[in-house]
Amino acid sequence: MPGFICIAVLATMLSAYSGASSSEGNSPVQPVKFRHTIHVDTLKMNCLYCHFAANKSFDPGLPAMSTCMGCHTVIQGTTPDNKAEIQKLAAFWNKKEPVPWIRIHKLPEYVHFPHMRHINAGVTCQTCHGQIQTMKQVYQASSLNMGWCVNCHIGQSNPPFRARYDCGSCHY
Amino acid sequence: MSTEQDRTASSGAVAPNGVKRREFLKVLGVGTAATTMLGCTQEKVEKLIPYLVSPDQTVPGVSNYYATTCRECSAGCGVIAETRDGRTIKLEGNPEHPVNRGALCARGQAALQGLYNPDRYRGPMARKNGQLQPVTWDEALQIFAQKLGETRSRGGGGNAVFINQHESGSFPGFLDAWLAAFGMPPHLSYDAGADHAVIAANRQTYGVAWPRLDFRAARLVVSIGADFLDSWGAMVPQQLDFAEARADHENAPRLIYVGPRRSLTGLNADQWIDCKPGSEMAIVQLLGGQSSAQAASQATGVSETVLDAFAREFASTTPSIVIAGGGGADGLEVALAANALNSRGNVGTTIKPNEGYLGFDRMASPAELRALVTRMNTGGVSLLMVRGANPAFTLPKGVGFAEAIAKVPFKVSFSSYPDETSELADLILPDHHSLEQWGDAEPIRGTLSLQQPAMDPVFDTRATSDVLIAVAKKDSANAARYPAADYRSWLISRFPGGAAALTAALPRGFVSGSLAEPTTARPLPPVHATAPIEQSSGNMYLVVYPHPFIGDGRGANKPWLQEIPDPVTKICWQTVAEMNPATAERMGLANGDLVTVRTAAGSLTLPVLRYPGIQRDTVAIGTGRGHTHAGRYAKAGLNPLEILPAGEDRAGGIAFVSTKANVTKAGGYAHIVTTEGSARQHGRGIGQAIAIADLRAGRPGYDSGNANASEVAQAAGVEPAAGERHEGGGGPQHGEEMPGDASHAFLPGMRSPVANDAEGEQGSPRSNDKGMYDPKHWSGMAKRRWAMTVDLARCTGCAACVSACYAENNIPTVGADWQVGKVLPDRTGFGANLLRSREMAWIRIERYYEGPGGEDGTANFDTRFVPMMCQHCGNAPCEPVCPVYATYHSPDGLNVQVYNRCVGTRYCSNNCPYKVRYFNWFGYGEPARPQYAFPEPLNWQLNPDVTVRGKGVMEKCSFCIQRIREAENRATLEKRPLKPDEFTTACAASCPSRAIVFGDAADENWTVTQLAKDARAYHVFEELNTYTAVVYLKKVTHPTPAGRT
Amino acid sequence: MATVTRPAPSRDEPRRPNIATAGVQLPAVRDYEQVDREISGTLRPTLFWFIGLGVAVFFLIIGISAWMYQIYSGLGVAGYNPPVMWGVYIITFVFWIGIGHAGTLISAILYLFRAGFRTTIYRCAEAMTVFAVMTAALFPILHLGRPWKFFWLIPYPNWRYIWPQFKSPLVWDVFAILTYFTISSTFLFIGLIPDIAVLRDREKISPIRKTVYTMLSLGWRNTDNEWRHFARAYLFLAAFSTPLVLSVHSVVSFDFAMALTPGWHTTIFPPYFVAGAIFSGMGMVFTIIIPLRKWFGLKHYVTINHLDAAAKLALFTSLLVGCAYMNEWFVAWFSGNEAEKSFFANRIWGQWWWASAILYTCNMMLPLSLFVQKLRRSAAWLFIISFTINIGMWFERFVIVVPSLSHEFEPWQWTSYRPTWVDYAILAGSFGWFSMWFMLFIKQLPVIAIAEVKEIVPPRLRTTHPHGIDPAGRHFEFEPDTPGEFA
Repeated sequence: MPGFICIAVLATMLSAYSGASSSEGNSPVQPVKFRHTIHVDTLKMNCLYCHFAANKSFDPGLPAMSTCMGCHTVIQGTTPDNKAEIQKLAAFWNKKEPVPWIRIHKLPEYVHFPHMRHINAGVTCQTCHGQIQTMKQVYQASSLNMGWCVNCHIGQSNPPFRARYDCGSCHY
Repeated sequence: MSTEQDRTASSGAVAPNGVKRREFLKVLGVGTAATTMLGCTQEKVEKLIPYLVSPDQTVPGVSNYYATTCRECSAGCGVIAETRDGRTIKLEGNPEHPVNRGALCARGQAALQGLYNPDRYRGPMARKNGQLQPVTWDEALQIFAQKLGETRSRGGGGNAVFINQHESGSFPGFLDAWLAAFGMPPHLSYDAGADHAVIAANRQTYGVAWPRLDFRAARLVVSIGADFLDSWGAMVPQQLDFAEARADHENAPRLIYVGPRRSLTGLNADQWIDCKPGSEMAIVQLLGGQSSAQAASQATGVSETVLDAFAREFASTTPSIVIAGGGGADGLEVALAANALNSRGNVGTTIKPNEGYLGFDRMASPAELRALVTRMNTGGVSLLMVRGANPAFTLPKGVGFAEAIAKVPFKVSFSSYPDETSELADLILPDHHSLEQWGDAEPIRGTLSLQQPAMDPVFDTRATSDVLIAVAKKDSANAARYPAADYRSWLISRFPGGAAALTAALPRGFVSGSLAEPTTARPLPPVHATAPIEQSSGNMYLVVYPHPFIGDGRGANKPWLQEIPDPVTKICWQTVAEMNPATAERMGLANGDLVTVRTAAGSLTLPVLRYPGIQRDTVAIGTGRGHTHAGRYAKAGLNPLEILPAGEDRAGGIAFVSTKANVTKAGGYAHIVTTEGSARQHGRGIGQAIAIADLRAGRPGYDSGNANASEVAQAAGVEPAAGERHEGGGGPQHGEEMPGDASHAFLPGMRSPVANDAEGEQGSPRSNDKGMYDPKHWSGMAKRRWAMTVDLARCTGCAACVSACYAENNIPTVGADWQVGKVLPDRTGFGANLLRSREMAWIRIERYYEGPGGEDGTANFDTRFVPMMCQHCGNAPCEPVCPVYATYHSPDGLNVQVYNRCVGTRYCSNNCPYKVRYFNWFGYGEPARPQYAFPEPLNWQLNPDVTVRGKGVMEKCSFCIQRIREAENRATLEKRPLKPDEFTTACAASCPSRAIVFGDAADENWTVTQLAKDARAYHVFEELNTYTAVVYLKKVTHPTPAGRT
Repeated sequence: MATVTRPAPSRDEPRRPNIATAGVQLPAVRDYEQVDREISGTLRPTLFWFIGLGVAVFFLIIGISAWMYQIYSGLGVAGYNPPVMWGVYIITFVFWIGIGHAGTLISAILYLFRAGFRTTIYRCAEAMTVFAVMTAALFPILHLGRPWKFFWLIPYPNWRYIWPQFKSPLVWDVFAILTYFTISSTFLFIGLIPDIAVLRDREKISPIRKTVYTMLSLGWRNTDNEWRHFARAYLFLAAFSTPLVLSVHSVVSFDFAMALTPGWHTTIFPPYFVAGAIFSGMGMVFTIIIPLRKWFGLKHYVTINHLDAAAKLALFTSLLVGCAYMNEWFVAWFSGNEAEKSFFANRIWGQWWWASAILYTCNMMLPLSLFVQKLRRSAAWLFIISFTINIGMWFERFVIVVPSLSHEFEPWQWTSYRPTWVDYAILAGSFGWFSMWFMLFIKQLPVIAIAEVKEIVPPRLRTTHPHGIDPAGRHFEFEPDTPGEFA
């Protein structure tokens, strides 16, 4: 009996643990308060304008500083704090330094996530990254756990997507 | 999309200290992660012209490919540098390039480890109060310019000497012009590895330095110590031609190797004439009919019957190729005589001077350097400049180059790496690596091979050409001569068609056209010809040969080249004295017993290796190892040049086979660092062969390498000529069907009956629901069966595939002495991990001896090279035993290893009959550890598509799954199915013999499917029902003269 | 209703012999009180004991530190020499599992077979079993490349949606070992209850012990009712654990038999391993019980008769193992399998000839001496033999694991194997761990089953004790029934 009880307890702990190991909800403060709300929601900019590689590479691609300054040399912002943020950006630019964005969505290095396959299969950015366009400060919307990935791959998602779900599709 | 500011921004990120960039590249190194900083590296890359992708499509995480030229040897192969996010991560042969046609040898692959070598000079250095200290480029150039000024003002210009690592193309001319401008004599273009005797002989006979050898046209190839598969001449193209010729079994030339030591070429020969060192001339005379078999037999110690048969075969077979290797005291004479033998109709048919390789022209011989040494000693040299070459190491110690250098008032080194020569320099202006700079080469007449930077400089180095221009600009007298801003613009200025043409040409990597410099030989100074070997004293002949990978020592600090076993001896990280087993037995020497090899020039104590491919009275030592100042990895081993008397053949080349040596037991023992377990197959049928006669007759002609057959033969006292064994399938006479016999039906497209079962929950063979593994499943995943064929008739065992695999799959090297030196330390401490056979090579070349010979020391034994990688069994023994599903069978037929799921029970390896699974005993990928295999910046080379394995997990060949996925992704993005032979694995891509073919065996249109149906096809250990995806094609032996079958 | 009558035994007629207790009587024991006194007397800690415990703990600490070092720097610090991917750890694992078998055999199977001689030694054996299994269970984890991930072998609901590979013998191991540990520890505890009660009821024991014993004895009051239930429970558990004795080591043997490695891939492994296990177990029992009966002055409990009987069992199993060895050779030769043949040749004449030599000497030759009754009845000789058996059995596993892996199908990958200090340290540590537990056990709980011993106290001394009355009103001596049923 004690043995069985131990196993039961262990099992519960472990399953809890295996779920808990996620940085879901992580929402660091970025060096420059970039507002997805304004760019996406208000200005209706296409995600691919900045994340230019998302539909052709594993990496979504982070806009070069030039991309930002392309607009922001002229656009100085309306509200004071927007102005402030844009000036921060300009400051980086003048120092010829890239903005040290803080990474939020990180998969382990043994997982290979091809953005382009998902984008081209019609998976929206929101499916994994949440309602980015309404996030005042971006946070990790999904657990990014393996089970969470597999859910979609085996067609449990809504709308159902279907993809191969053997280990070798992502782990190599 | 990039503005001027961007570039400056980027160069800002690549600030001279380079710190920031290195920082994040390290992050990048271990994964596809960290897109944040990509903006910085793209821009610089963008200014270059990609091979396939047009610049504005440069995308993070997507590779760009730059066509450039390999500078690791003089052949001038075209390579394609795969550059990801600003870092070159892989080299491939340029498929269109006329020289190497897509293949690339081990040394070429390892160029990356030169580029990212952790011991490279970080920036310019100058000697201040006896110490080399870092200086800025401005200072350095100032010093250099000043010295040049002084030299000229003192009228010492004529006494200045510039030694350049030999290379073809525009640079030599540019350099000479520059030297002339400063009133200095033309430079010495030096290549220690070159075979000067042969070059000289070729000039006399054919009028060119290196003719093309058309093996396809020949019926018989006689190589007199000419190792055209190892390091003799243009290795890659020669190997391509040879493999092609041998692949046409009917008309394949028979290869007879004459020489005291079986090199890789010798092991690929159908017959070996083990003549005494220095007696090659006798053989040539025999073939030329100037002497009798009896006389030759006396001179060479080879039995008269063998020689007689040899002579008759040679006389009766045409066309043929006779090539000599030089390297002996009478190298020139032998080479000339050998060439003379080709006058009987070979020239033009099998030997094509006008298609020759130009890489060997205008080469300065060691004799010139010796002459230079005497000048230096007499203070006749005012200024010495060295670029690339390392004469202080590559010349025999007896020449005393290092000592002489001290007498030169000022020495400048342009070397990128610390080496024995640059250590002695007063000023170091480190050159770019060839992958970082512009240039060109003319490997064969009429073809300009272009060289362009594939990435930003790793360190604060500068292309020597640019430095020279910069210095000239500083110099009032010469500034006018150099209007061009840098070497690139100088190249453009004289490039036919100018910038536009160059831009157009770069994607292809070469253009037809010629900048041909005069290809005249340099005047030869009086040589110190060495006396015939017989006149030296000693109980054995000493043969010093260039290491196939490390060569004259250039590759010594590249861990791959140290760790990949020598294709012949299978020795890593170590220098050994190779002796014939019979001789060793006589002297009571076991493997690893220390012997002292003493010559007139000095003595060396090193472990013995019993190698059957050595003439009985000979001891052989490989060059290239045992550096003192060439970096952390180069310390391994010993340098035989220390005991090689300074002497030359009449062409001024170093006489490597010029002396006898006294070999005495030194007492003591050093473990032999080898990857070889047993050199015999014990009848397991791993590397199988079929005699051409049997193949022609359609007989199964099975030969499992059954040791018994040969033992019987020996017991009967008959020593069968290499191959009578094979006739009629020597192995089992009683006609039982042995495993792997090709008469067994093979259905490569099919997965094994239990492959589904290997998948787990839904996998019951009786179940109707096979889940995603059902070929009719909506996910359409079970349509493929990735498979591979390995043609042993082509494979020469050169191990290019191994190095390619190291480069592609982030395989750690484990042999350096600080990587767990404590476990069973070898005498040098290097290779401790390999002594525990913990090498990680996902593909290894097994080298098995067959038939008589081998241990008993007789000349005739056959060699089987078997590339062994994961067989991706359809019915894999490793899969069901893994308790956590870390290894399983993917629906496209791969046997996948999931590193992050592995807990490290190692049961899979226990259950693998092929023993192709490798375990991470230490944290080879963890920078903090002594075992770290990729010290900064070697880790820049890591392939972002492949996980760097952590401590305690199993790994193995993945059939380059990352390339499969990449191809699938590409096809999907382009909304098309995979094209047949659209992509291939790293090993197959680099193979200079085209022995490895990869593809989808379930699809008839892939080449692999056709090959798998070949009559020679067999599986290793087929009797175990593993349903392997790797199909081997039997080696085809040519035991008897082509006429006689 | 019919009245039950039983014939009154007359004084002169010979007593019907009691098979089970024949030859196992304890003449030197006068009455039950003496049993209680002497056995509970052994629980007093002595300096000698403290030293012994100290040594055990010392070795344990060595082992633990070695393991820590190995976890930090990687398995490479152990002597693995691919393709010899398993080494000392797996060898020792199988070794300890084997040890663990004699206990249950003695306490359960012999109990069902009514073999009386088990009575005095089974408690030791039982405890030994539990601790051996506890030791063995460490090694599968210890030899992992990533021990911190060991729980992936356990099927539990997780967020990755993946289960263990149920086809892998290693997963079966997890179940087998856990089951075996659970059952044998329960079995040990149940058997202890009455004894603990005895200890609880003795005077002058420290209050702490009193409390502990009180809790452990589960309020045992020695009533007939309790005895009846107890007897049934005990009988049931014995029956329950009997198949385990066979199953567990069969499963362990599958680790090898399921692989196609030459020298492993044979159907004889399960019975062969079980026999070997019992053999090694008997060895360890001797190694433990013989010194114990000396130090604790229990020679008149664990009589030479008992040892003699146990020795016969050891001899028998030794013969079984011997047959297995010879069978292996025969099959290897008969199979005609190239790899198999050359492997067995290598096993005997190859680089590990000495290991095989040790194995065959210790496990086949020396035990034959037990045919001689004199030797069988000499405690000293049995003690020596027991040592050679332990050594021999360790080397049996060595010969199975190492030469097989180092001489497989692929000649190019034939290698050697040399353990490092880490291997040895952890091996020593395992002995430390085992003896630590055993040391603690012998001073906290009776090493001899008080209750059961009382059954083989000679009846003639029982006149002052409960006896029957026949319908005719005559007293008759209570003839103890077969031991263990506590009638």
